[in-house]
Amino acid sequence: MEHLSLHALNNLIKTTLDSQLDPSYWVVAEIGEMRNTQNGHCYLELVDKENDRVTAKVRGTIWSYTYRNLSTWFEGMTGQALQPGLKILCNVAVQFHELYGLSVNIKDIDANFTLGERARRRKEVIDKLVADGTFDMNRGHALPLVPQRIAIISSPTAAGFGDFMDQIEQNSRGYKFSAKLYKATMQGDKAALSIINAMMQVHDHIENYDALIIIRGGGSQVDLDCFDDYELASHIAQYPIPVLTGIGHERDETIADLVAHTRLKTPTAVAEFLISGIIAFDDQLDEYFSRLFHSVNQKINVEKQRLSSLGYQLKGISKEKTASSNYTLSHLMHKVKAAAKNYFHQQQKKLDLADNTMKFLDPQQVLKRGYTITTVNGKLIKNTTLTKGDVIVSESNNYIITSTVESSNKKNGKEKA
Amino acid sequence: MAKKKLSYKNAVEEIESIVDKIENGEPDVDELAELVKRAAGLIKECKVKLKGTEDSLSETLEELE
Repeated sequence: MEHLSLHALNNLIKTTLDSQLDPSYWVVAEIGEMRNTQNGHCYLELVDKENDRVTAKVRGTIWSYTYRNLSTWFEGMTGQALQPGLKILCNVAVQFHELYGLSVNIKDIDANFTLGERARRRKEVIDKLVADGTFDMNRGHALPLVPQRIAIISSPTAAGFGDFMDQIEQNSRGYKFSAKLYKATMQGDKAALSIINAMMQVHDHIENYDALIIIRGGGSQVDLDCFDDYELASHIAQYPIPVLTGIGHERDETIADLVAHTRLKTPTAVAEFLISGIIAFDDQLDEYFSRLFHSVNQKINVEKQRLSSLGYQLKGISKEKTASSNYTLSHLMHKVKAAAKNYFHQQQKKLDLADNTMKFLDPQQVLKRGYTITTVNGKLIKNTTLTKGDVIVSESNNYIITSTVESSNKKNGKEKA
Repeated sequence: MAKKKLSYKNAVEEIESIVDKIENGEPDVDELAELVKRAAGLIKECKVKLKGTEDSLSETLEELE
C-alpha cells in the first residue's frame, strides 16, 4: 500500500496551508493563557468563547522583536498590558510546523479594537448601574464639613499610600486626622474582590468614619480593569458614606471613579482635597470671628456714643434749668425788694403824718397859741372837783400862775364848789 | 454618628445664627456679652478639635490582612 511518512504528511499539510491561506488574517480572539520567556518571546493561547465555554483555541506566538514594541505601544494606547482575558484584534499568520503543529504568529495587534471593546464593556457596566438606580447614589451623600475621620483602602506598600499619609500627617496647618488603613490588593484579578472585602470591614465600624478613601498609585498605569468591575462599582455606589478615589492614572476615569462621591487623580490629590476642605472650614471660623468682633465693636461704640450724648444732654438740660431758676429767683428778689421799699415808703408817710398831728396836739404848741393849762395838785382839772381854797396852778406860754379857787361851778350847773 | 462632644455642623449653625443676630442688631448690650461668649467658645472648640488636641489619633497600619 502506498504510504507517506508522518513527516511527509505534515509537510503536505504545511504546503497546502501555505498555498491555500492568505499570508495573514485579522482575527478577533481572547487571550486565554500567556507567558513570556526569558529570551523575550511571548507564548499565548487564543480562544473564542460562547457563554464562557471555549469554542475554539489555537496556540500563538509573538516573537521578541515584535513583542517588545507591540506590548509597549499597546500599553501606551490602552493603559493596560496584554494579559489573559483581554479581547484583541490581531493580525496573524498561520503556521504549521512538522514537529510543533499548528500555531499562529501574531504580527500586529489593533489597540483601537481593545479600546472600543473596553468602552463597550464599560458602557454595559454603566448602563447596568444606571438601571439598578445606584449610579449616582454615593454622590447623594453630603461630605461632612470636616472629614477628619477616614478609612483608607490601599496596599500598605504602595507609594501612593505613603504619599497620602505624609501629606495628611504633615499638613502645614497642623490639622489632625484619624486615619485607619484597611489593606487590600489593588491590582490584578483579585483586586475587585479584595477591595470589596476591605469595604465590608470598614462597614463594620462605619459610624467611626466620615469618608472612605480608595487609593492606589505610583507605579504602573496598567491593570486598572478591576476598577471597571461591576460588583466593585456597585458597592462603591451604594456605600453609606462618601467614597473618595485616588486611583492614580491618567487615562479616562474608571467606573469606580465615576460612581465615587469625589474622584481625584492621585492619592496626594485626595489628601490635598481633604486638607483644603478643612482649611476652608477653618477660614470660615476666622471669618465668623472677625464678623463677631467687628459687629460687637460697632455695637459697643454706638452704645458709648449714646451714653456720652446722653451725658451732654443731661448737662445741657441742667444748665438750662439752673439758669432759668436763677432768673426766676433774682426776679423774685427784685420784686421783694421793690415791695419792701414801697412798704417802707408808705409807712414813712404815715409816720410823718402822725408826727404832724402829734405836733399839732402838743400842749406846748397849745400854750404858744395863748392857751393855759391848769392843774390842781399836779393833775389836769378834768373830772376833779374843786373846792374853795384849793390852790390851782396855771401854765401859760411864758408864766406859771398860782391862784386860789373862790368858787367853781359845773358848766351844766349841776355841781357847785 | 456616635456620641460626639461637638458636631462641626451644629457648631457652625449656632455660630452663624449668633453672628446674624448680632449683625442685625437684635440683642441689647447685656445679651450681647452672653452671645459673644458662646460664639467665641464654639469657634475655639472647633479650632481645638481641628488640631486634634482632644483626641489621640492615627492608628494606621494595624489590622488584619
